[in-house]
Amino acid sequence: MSRYYYYLVLINMIANVIASVPAILLHFHDDGAVSAMIVSVVAGSTLVFFFTRFFTHFPGMTLPELLQKTTAKWFYNPFILVLAITWFIAGMITLITYTFLLIRYLTPEMPIIQISLTILLAVILGCLMKTDRVFYTIEIILLLTVPLIILIFIKAYTNENLRWEFVKEAALYFNQFPNLNAFSACFFLYLGSANLIIFNRFFKNKQNFGVKQITLIVAISIMTLFTTYFIPIGFNGVEGIEKLVYPWITTSDSLRMKFSLIERVLFIFLLFYLGIAFLSILIHWHVSIELLKYVFNFEKFKFKGFKFGVFLPIPFYIGVSLYFVRQLNEYQLFRLSGIFYNILIIFFPMMLILFFFIKRRMKNVKKAEQN
Amino acid sequence: MSSEEILLWIKEQFKNTTELTQKTLDYDNKHALLFYVKSLIDQESLQKLIIKPFFEMANENQFKAYLIALPQFQKVESKEQAVSEVTNGNTLIVIQHDLYLIDLQLATNNQVSTTSVETTIHGSNIALSENLMTNINLIRTYYHQASLSIEYFTKGEVNQQKIAIIYDKELVNTKALEIIKQKLQQLDQQVISASTELNNYLNDKRFSLFPQMLMTERPDRIVYNIAGGKIALILDGNAQALIAPAVFFDFMTTMEDNYHTLFISLFVRILRYAGLFVSLLLPGLYVGITSFAPEVFRTELALTVAGSRIGVPFSSFVEVLFMLFFMELLLEASIRLPKAVSATATTVGGLILGSAVTEAALASNIMVIIVSAVAISTFVIPVNELAFTIRIVRLILLLITSVFGLAGLTLGLYGLIMYLVYLDSFGEPYLRLFNYQKAKKSSEGQA
Repeated sequence: MSRYYYYLVLINMIANVIASVPAILLHFHDDGAVSAMIVSVVAGSTLVFFFTRFFTHFPGMTLPELLQKTTAKWFYNPFILVLAITWFIAGMITLITYTFLLIRYLTPEMPIIQISLTILLAVILGCLMKTDRVFYTIEIILLLTVPLIILIFIKAYTNENLRWEFVKEAALYFNQFPNLNAFSACFFLYLGSANLIIFNRFFKNKQNFGVKQITLIVAISIMTLFTTYFIPIGFNGVEGIEKLVYPWITTSDSLRMKFSLIERVLFIFLLFYLGIAFLSILIHWHVSIELLKYVFNFEKFKFKGFKFGVFLPIPFYIGVSLYFVRQLNEYQLFRLSGIFYNILIIFFPMMLILFFFIKRRMKNVKKAEQN
Repeated sequence: MSSEEILLWIKEQFKNTTELTQKTLDYDNKHALLFYVKSLIDQESLQKLIIKPFFEMANENQFKAYLIALPQFQKVESKEQAVSEVTNGNTLIVIQHDLYLIDLQLATNNQVSTTSVETTIHGSNIALSENLMTNINLIRTYYHQASLSIEYFTKGEVNQQKIAIIYDKELVNTKALEIIKQKLQQLDQQVISASTELNNYLNDKRFSLFPQMLMTERPDRIVYNIAGGKIALILDGNAQALIAPAVFFDFMTTMEDNYHTLFISLFVRILRYAGLFVSLLLPGLYVGITSFAPEVFRTELALTVAGSRIGVPFSSFVEVLFMLFFMELLLEASIRLPKAVSATATTVGGLILGSAVTEAALASNIMVIIVSAVAISTFVIPVNELAFTIRIVRLILLLITSVFGLAGLTLGLYGLIMYLVYLDSFGEPYLRLFNYQKAKKSSEGQA
């Protein structure tokens, strides 16, 4: 599999360290979070496997293109629209979470609209770029940010304040029945490969996806999940951990770099994770806008030869995000993301069934093309 | 068309000027008519190659055969060609209704100079000359391949300047070559006087910030790039060549990177990229940290910065802008000033930017350090074109930071990277990691 594919999977995993996933997990720390994580590793990697395998059968084709060939119009249009909205919400949740983080920890006196506008303006035009350019952007920004983030994780693991007794204590809850909310939060980590519904157009050559590749992804995901869940517990203890709003921010603030220019790791963590959040929003909204292009014919909006059609979704994206930034508070956002994750665990397995039908019908399409 | 008509037409073209010299040679039944522009030709070779043999030859036929045998001989194909060749320094000779063109051009600009913009310690120190033929000669002496192709275009409706496109037929990026040729054909400028002008004319964008062609004066760099499949454009009368397609990393390399040992060139490269980031981010970082989030720095450092700002009546943004403004003025002044005066300018400027400004409490001490660090690190960027661009981008990032704070600066940087990735240079992505890999079987396509 091309290295670009792993970027998609990786970003979705590490971006959620900062979002509400750890908060949801820690909320259910004595109520089946650990067992939910174990179950989600199995379920998530199964989904990743089948999802990716499906797309390797159709190199260079996006899901809407496949649907166009195999399904009726009454199904196709609403379904793509629903997908577009789903991906928009996924991006928006990251956006709002990060806006809240910035106002909480970096610039408390700045108006919240201004903060979210910073992220929105930086990201929004990038969503209109070609798919290959999105990948190149991802690669460069990852190269800039990931080494430092890994360094912070290493610092966390080697810190003397990390108490392994707490970790062991938390791990003892593995015998509880898996919690559904915790499961869906973990499951969301695996949905990075679902971005292939658009990004598959970049992979024009036949890709290999077998045991070796899925093992790598499972290994990375287990490491991510472990870090996400157990490091905050190791630093903060099990008692009262469910009350933390941003467990990872609190954890990174307990790290110090004694001899560095910037002593509090929190700020480095915050500013560099901003890059990951940026990429996460970029990917989700790129998928969303590209999906919208299949539903609406943006090409027909012209003014003196200038095609402004592709820019039409942008005001909506900005408007809706700003509205929700104003309306929601942290608790509501937490609940909303929980509900969103819960919907996705039904939605994506259903998509696998759809894929099964597409694959069968594509065989007929191919036969028809050959004759 | 008979030769008389051509002659009449040529005379008509030069009617109102005194430029065209007409000379009749007449001796022993031998007749020849010479037309040339006196200021353009080498009179010594005219005497040695044409006038002297004329008087020594037995008859006209022998002289004709002699002329055709000369290496400077050119055929007359049309009247327009004849006129343009005469304005290029050819001598037109008429013997018994036959026309001969002999190239006797006197070029005073064919001296090969030493590098002045891209100086290096190792490697060749020869720069291009201002004469196209000398330049092509230079490139050919560095690149011995039959596949090296050179195509000529004449552009600029008024001044009719010659442009040479140089590439290796077998290695060249054919997509880029087609785009460049097509754009050159569409080019309809009145006057083209410098090859770097083409940088603006050949990209379709009206508003462009980053250079999409690499300007260079070093033949070794041209040769290196041609061997890498790129295309060089040289305009006659210019000591600079343009190389296209150029990607961002081209602007961050010097030829010396290949001449050093691995670790030295690695070190120098790291230094250069650090310089790039410092010159881009430092002013913004100062504003972001002093005005928006002083708690980011460790306490001692934050206090030092705040202490140094005591008595400064401006906000940090105005302070940075004020100092950067003077630094940019100083930079610009030292380019434009005559050499005799420029020393004064730098001394006075250095004094203002150095101590006086802090003593007058118009800027903090740390600000002075930052401005000088920024100035120095801008000079580390090896290609001048990019350094100019960085100066503008720096101001944009400063502006973004003063509105949106540190998060704005970070996102501004990411946005800048995204913009660079979005850019194209003649069909090649402007910024992409592992750009050099030209594997035949890449695992992914382009979308």
